[in-house]
Amino acid sequence: MLNTTIMLLIAAPILFSLLFVALPKSLYKILAWAFFIVGTVLSIMLVLDGTGKVEVAGSNFATFESIVLILEALIILYVLYVSAKHKNWPTLGLIVISAALTAYTLSSSVPKVESAFFNIDQFSQVMILIVNIIGTAIILFATGYMDHYEEHRHLNRQKTFYFTMSFFLAAMNGLVMVDTLGWLFLFWEITTLCSFVLISYNQDEEGINNGFRALALNLVGGVTFSAAIILLGTKFDISTLSGIGTSVGTSTTAALIALPVALLCIAGFAKSAQMPFQSWLLGAMVAPTPVSALLHSSTMVNAGVFLIIKLVPAFAGTTLGTAIALYGSFTFVMCSALALSQRNAKRVLAYSTIANLGLIIASAGIGTPLAVAAAIMLILFHAISKALLFLCIGEIEHTIGSRDIEDMSGLIKKAPLLTVLTSLGMISMLLPPFGVLLTKWVSMEVASSNPIVSVFLILGSALTTVYYVKWLGTILSSSMDKNAVLHPKLETYFPLSFLGACIVVTSILVFTIYDYFVKPQVATLLNIAPTVTGQGGQFTSEIGAFAYALIFIVFALAILIYLATKNMFTPRPAGYYMCGENNLEKDKLMFRNGLCSYDKSSVSNIYLKDTFGENKLTTFGYVISILLIVAALAGGLL
Amino acid sequence: MNSLDIVKIVLVLIGAPILGCLIAGIDRKLTSRLQGRVGPPLLQPYYDVMKLFQKDNMIVNPSQNFYVVLYVVFVILSLLMLVFKMDILMIIFVYTISSVALIVGGMSTGSPYARIGSSREIMAILSYEPILILYALAIYLLTGTFNLSALDNASSPLLFYTPLIFISMLFVMNIKFKKSPFDYSTSHHAHQELVKGMLTEYSGPGLAGIEIGHFFEYVFLLALMFLFWNVSIVMGLLLAVIAFLFVIIMDNITARIYWQWMLKVSWTILLVISVVNILFLYVTQVKIV
Repeated sequence: MLNTTIMLLIAAPILFSLLFVALPKSLYKILAWAFFIVGTVLSIMLVLDGTGKVEVAGSNFATFESIVLILEALIILYVLYVSAKHKNWPTLGLIVISAALTAYTLSSSVPKVESAFFNIDQFSQVMILIVNIIGTAIILFATGYMDHYEEHRHLNRQKTFYFTMSFFLAAMNGLVMVDTLGWLFLFWEITTLCSFVLISYNQDEEGINNGFRALALNLVGGVTFSAAIILLGTKFDISTLSGIGTSVGTSTTAALIALPVALLCIAGFAKSAQMPFQSWLLGAMVAPTPVSALLHSSTMVNAGVFLIIKLVPAFAGTTLGTAIALYGSFTFVMCSALALSQRNAKRVLAYSTIANLGLIIASAGIGTPLAVAAAIMLILFHAISKALLFLCIGEIEHTIGSRDIEDMSGLIKKAPLLTVLTSLGMISMLLPPFGVLLTKWVSMEVASSNPIVSVFLILGSALTTVYYVKWLGTILSSSMDKNAVLHPKLETYFPLSFLGACIVVTSILVFTIYDYFVKPQVATLLNIAPTVTGQGGQFTSEIGAFAYALIFIVFALAILIYLATKNMFTPRPAGYYMCGENNLEKDKLMFRNGLCSYDKSSVSNIYLKDTFGENKLTTFGYVISILLIVAALAGGLL
Repeated sequence: MNSLDIVKIVLVLIGAPILGCLIAGIDRKLTSRLQGRVGPPLLQPYYDVMKLFQKDNMIVNPSQNFYVVLYVVFVILSLLMLVFKMDILMIIFVYTISSVALIVGGMSTGSPYARIGSSREIMAILSYEPILILYALAIYLLTGTFNLSALDNASSPLLFYTPLIFISMLFVMNIKFKKSPFDYSTSHHAHQELVKGMLTEYSGPGLAGIEIGHFFEYVFLLALMFLFWNVSIVMGLLLAVIAFLFVIIMDNITARIYWQWMLKVSWTILLVISVVNILFLYVTQVKIV
């Protein structure tokens, strides 16, 4: 049963990607709905099939192995071709190194594998749910979004778009299920390539440049990845991801294995756009919004943290682990500060993604059972909230024609449902009782054993509150200047509402999710499960209790109190108090100035650009993060 | 939940606003004496609230009073969680909900004065929230748990090992009471600058709700100071009174400068001394249980 589902999970997205190419545009909506349903059903099937390892051996293995080799060769040739065509020398250099390393793995000095493994554990199940439910919901949203987008930019590349998006999901599915490192590397490179194609979608200079930046930075990760494969194969005879974890417990080479593990972690940092690699993810926002949503929530960046969490047994409790925790928490605080200074909504979200991935990496680095549990749960909750927020931004951009936070002032009056969903997404990122804060709470509690990490987390979390609250207040404000044109479509509003519902349901079921998926996974990774109980709607660890049910109840109570008292005092609408003379006929925000003419009052939020601006912090961030990576590598060598 | 718990809840729901109202009354009385005035009667805050309830419910945004309800309800919840000695980190997060509700409520009205006030209040969050969480972290380092119930068995008061955090918390009180020099977002006195800042468009029953919320909030904040010496009720109360007097005296002897200054003071002096205190606890590994 399990191997059929695994095969289907890789084959179905590929089939859909081919269908998108073969069928005309008019059928895309139906296809996307079908894809959403198939993806949801298949991922639930995988969860029902349970966990286990599936071996691919014999003639099957030989066939697949040759397919893998052919695909790897094709990727290398394609990247060589495009980088030469656009004269992008750094990319060309990196792909040559990468090709050399790949050729070396084929030579006789690296031991060959006789079979490949798929390893389905609870973490893979969670990732499959994220990829196939959120990912397909994003594609569904795209069918209601892309026509309008292309119309504006005079493009007609939707076949490439849907083909790559679907293929991306196939590669992600493979990446989170496969255990053999050689195959994992193939899926890893496919996601890099897909993101290159999607980022350069507009085919203008900016798009192509940013696409190449993403390609080059991820190839750096690819190079360290293949170096790690060679080291692991020649020195330790390890060819699977789970093999790294088990070998640490048994062999006496624990200290030596830290180097390949650190190299794999660097590959993960690059994929998760951690400092100093963050610029590719910031550049990725030139692509259409569904691409950003896909990259930020359900695919690409999750691959990096996925790999790092899988490696936890190899570095838990070591110097390397501490270095990773410091590095992750540093990225968290830096990127939260950078997010504070941004006016562009997509950039705020991009920095927020990098910051949250930093938090995940910090939790993994701390490496206690509770911290690893927090890391896994944060991936899930962050994916849902971020997907919703990005899609909302896309829809807001269509509605008001701008992605500047200041222009979103008063959105609640023009697009109430959209604003409520966006607010839900933001609140779920920073306030209890929602999942993201629960995991932040857990990581703060576990980080308390390391003072520097905990101070970083505390500062980062205060900064997070600030940049989300000012945005939240702006969209819920009641004064509006921009013209808004609503485009209510089922294909766009269904995924938004669905993701909103997912946030609420997963936050209510947080303990069930923990018990079913996270607890057994942590037990597999670290051989001990965190001591957490979930009675009375509390998430109780050995050092504290998160009372999420209580807050849901009190929130419901607040709504009831409001509705009950609303009509006790008859509301009487009034204009703004403008301290004297308003010009009410024209605009309620007009007032008379000192020259006896009328001015319009306008206010904007505080961005602290002089303190937290990109030009102030980015260089500093590069220096410190590179130092921390070097420290991690040195820790691996010594 | 047993009957004792219900009695406690009822006591908090009735007792806290009375206490908070008296605190607000004493504040006004003391302030006027410091300024050489006679001042209003002790129960003036109560009369004010009663009067506000009888006024018209004037609104500029149909949903603006929803945020008032959220603010009051979550302030009460954080006070109740404190009384039931739950997780201090969680209490701070719940308290953040109430602060955010008030800020969003101010911004939701769309008035330029309110929006400037709210922006400044967001900066106030940036100034005080890290210190509040460091305070929680200090409790964890000293007791081994974030649950406040552990403080019941403490062998010595928290204050002995957290003097620097206590000083920072005094300033947090000043910020949260919205008293000079930190009354940037909304103030009892600043009629000339931002009108009523964040609360400009609130009047009548909505403003009355906010005032009641403030009564609860005063009690909650002073209870945080009480925790520094909660092994002895007398000493705990004394610390709360000292904190309260500190806030009032500061209010009367200082002038508002600008919000950037608040951020500077907090992220340099206050944050640094708090982190030093935390490092001290971490290095010495002292425990009080």
